[in-house]
Amino acid sequence: MTNPVLQINHLQKKFGHFQALKDITFDVRPGEVFGFIGPNGAGKSTTIRVLLGIIRATGGTASIFGQNVWTDSVAIHQRLAYVPGDVYLWPNLTGGEIIDLLLKMNGTAHTAKTDDLIKKFGLDPTKKARTYSKGNRQKVALIAAFSQDADFYIFDEPTSGLDPLNERIFQDAVMTLKQQGKAVLLSSHILSEVERMCDRIGIIREGQIIETGSLAEMRHLTRTMVTVTLGDDFDVTTLPGVHGVEAGHAPHEWQFSVEAQHLSTVMATLAQHHVAALQSTPPTLEDLFMHYYTGKE
Amino acid sequence: MTRFGRTGQLVRLAFRRDRFRILMWIVILAALMASVAWKFEGIYGTPSEINAIKGTLASPGIVAMFGAFSFKGQVTTAEIFANEMLLFMALIQVVMNLALSVHATRAEEDLGITELVRAHAVGTLAPLSAAAIELLLVNLCLGVLYSVGLSAANMPGATTQGNWLIGLGLAATGLLFGMLGLLTAQVADHASSATGIAYTLFGLSYLARMITDVQHPRLTWWSPLGWVEKLAPYNSPRWLPIGLSLVLAIILLGLAFWANNHRDIGAGAITTRPGRAQASAYLRGPATLVWRRQRNVIIAWIIAVIIFGVAYGTVFNTIGDILKTNPTMQQVFGAAMVHEANHKILLSFTSLLAIVMAAVAIIPGMQLILKLHSDETRGWLEALYARPISRTHVLFSYVGTAFVTSTLAFIGGLGGIVVMGDASLTHVKDGISATEFWHGVAAQLPEIWVFLGLSVLLVGCWPRLKTISWLYLALGFITVYMGSLLKLPDCVKNVTPTGWMPRVPLHALDWTTFSWMVGLAVVLVVIGWLGYRRRDLQMS
Repeated sequence: MTNPVLQINHLQKKFGHFQALKDITFDVRPGEVFGFIGPNGAGKSTTIRVLLGIIRATGGTASIFGQNVWTDSVAIHQRLAYVPGDVYLWPNLTGGEIIDLLLKMNGTAHTAKTDDLIKKFGLDPTKKARTYSKGNRQKVALIAAFSQDADFYIFDEPTSGLDPLNERIFQDAVMTLKQQGKAVLLSSHILSEVERMCDRIGIIREGQIIETGSLAEMRHLTRTMVTVTLGDDFDVTTLPGVHGVEAGHAPHEWQFSVEAQHLSTVMATLAQHHVAALQSTPPTLEDLFMHYYTGKE
Repeated sequence: MTRFGRTGQLVRLAFRRDRFRILMWIVILAALMASVAWKFEGIYGTPSEINAIKGTLASPGIVAMFGAFSFKGQVTTAEIFANEMLLFMALIQVVMNLALSVHATRAEEDLGITELVRAHAVGTLAPLSAAAIELLLVNLCLGVLYSVGLSAANMPGATTQGNWLIGLGLAATGLLFGMLGLLTAQVADHASSATGIAYTLFGLSYLARMITDVQHPRLTWWSPLGWVEKLAPYNSPRWLPIGLSLVLAIILLGLAFWANNHRDIGAGAITTRPGRAQASAYLRGPATLVWRRQRNVIIAWIIAVIIFGVAYGTVFNTIGDILKTNPTMQQVFGAAMVHEANHKILLSFTSLLAIVMAAVAIIPGMQLILKLHSDETRGWLEALYARPISRTHVLFSYVGTAFVTSTLAFIGGLGGIVVMGDASLTHVKDGISATEFWHGVAAQLPEIWVFLGLSVLLVGCWPRLKTISWLYLALGFITVYMGSLLKLPDCVKNVTPTGWMPRVPLHALDWTTFSWMVGLAVVLVVIGWLGYRRRDLQMS
């Protein structure tokens, strides 16, 4: 099965005169974790709500399992699990009741797996939802999602209220889904999490997808930080594709960034000048993020 | 920093937050009072008009609804006005105060806003004091407007003292129930529970005053809601009821402060108990979810409406026996005619109450339908729509529950009146027959359904305008409750569905009207449904 689970083509959404989504195009394939990142208000949640059929797109197409997200939403949701960023629960029901209800509405039932998840996440299912903290509300939604046997999982900033222990449980559970060949769309602000878990990443800015690809592919588009100590007085500013050159603490120590396509030339040239120490750091996702949003490296 | 630090700032914030709702209440209530007073001389200006209405107002059926007042000597237009309007305006004033008080305290706390405010340098009791001051100012402002409006209307028989008694008396009653709302907001652990407790107490004081008014008006002093009746503004003015209201208001506020001091923010004296670890077998979809969440409210409403019906039914024996007021009738007309007349009176009374019951029965249904939209904006529906559940399914889960609730509440209420009423009669034959009862039910159900259908239409197509449902229902209620006493023209009564059906069982049921009203209700629901399937949902 190589057909993408989710396919979005030039998706647009207007609220009155405000163009919330201008051009969203990406797809998610089976067995893949797709990271969806962007600052607040860029359109991540709007995109996800279009995918859920809660709001209707004003242009472009979006399909899940090859079916239209608006007209076939009920059929799609049979095989889909979703955890919203802000989990709102019916205040006078207990967490346990809500989990069971959500499962039943998908035609599944409370299983040993559910009990296991409740125990793992450390949730007290007898408490009324009104008394839960943000993290506990998220746990309820996560437990319901993970105990469901879906083919496509959508997580919208699922760990923003979780402590590091529960965050780790979440990440392990997502990796298990991936091994089982499920598709996962993960929208997150925690870039280290995305970096660790996601196979491919889509970056959204002001309602537009500005970059998609694997982290490795993206790194090619940006610059690598290099710190080098040379044995002679070579002037590194003469190198091609070098930016932001700064002198280091020691004599002949330099710090600069190199464009990906010039990296090999630069390294070859440096090698002729008696390299005493060399440290090269690939850009982190955070660097990439900053690069796209502030225009600086 | 004292415990009341920065109360002033919070009061300003409260008025900024509630400016539209306060403005709307004040404008509507003041205009209602002033315009009725303005028109009143035209309605009950001449002695013959006054004498005719005097008899009506003394009948137990009207006493049950408008309170017991005693007239001495020459009755003036102003006295009739006070009789008809005082209790009615007090009821609306109480509803306003309960809404504002819970909104200003417990609802803010549920949203986490109080926590945010208290984290700043404000006194621990400042948010509650600010709410109390807000209520005081709103009631005072409204009271002064009433008095000024009455003075401007200058009805025959009105006195300056009487005008101010009415204005300040209503303000004091409103304030008293506002303070009750502040207290229940401290006792309950969330806003709707606070509202529920407050309305239960309000309902009990209404029932107490109704039963005592019909039987022993002196005992009405024991119901705080009865105090407005004791003002007797234009015949024997009394300031004591205002004093009593203010004293009780201060006591309630003191208790609210005490409770506020002895509880944690976010908690109430009634603690949230843990519940089931797993869902019961029947909780499995949107419809059962609506029931699970709202069952207490639904059951409470149905029981409350039945109790009201039963309470009205208890006065059947007093109303439906004209021999009590006129013992010589039997000798003059014979027993058959007397029973016929008794039956007619009961039919008329039941027909009037049926319309009131219908208006009351609509409220829980309308709340449920509008809840579909408030649940949507609170994000509670997002979890439903992420499941294989269609818009149609969710919409009809709410709408179906609403229609069933209102229908059952109405049948229960009218049934309560008729069953209790017939049981209280010495001659059961004088009472309402089963056929008459079911015709009464059939006459009001279309009206209930049209109102609910309108709410479905608004929630489905234009949810921002949903408040119109309440205004329209209020208009319908006022036109039937006050319509005949204010001699409103038919075109005004026909603005809302409450006026479309002739009064049944007094008159025959009109099946043509029945059919097109049901048809209209169906059309409204269908359009609302189509709109709901097409529109974007609003998620916070």
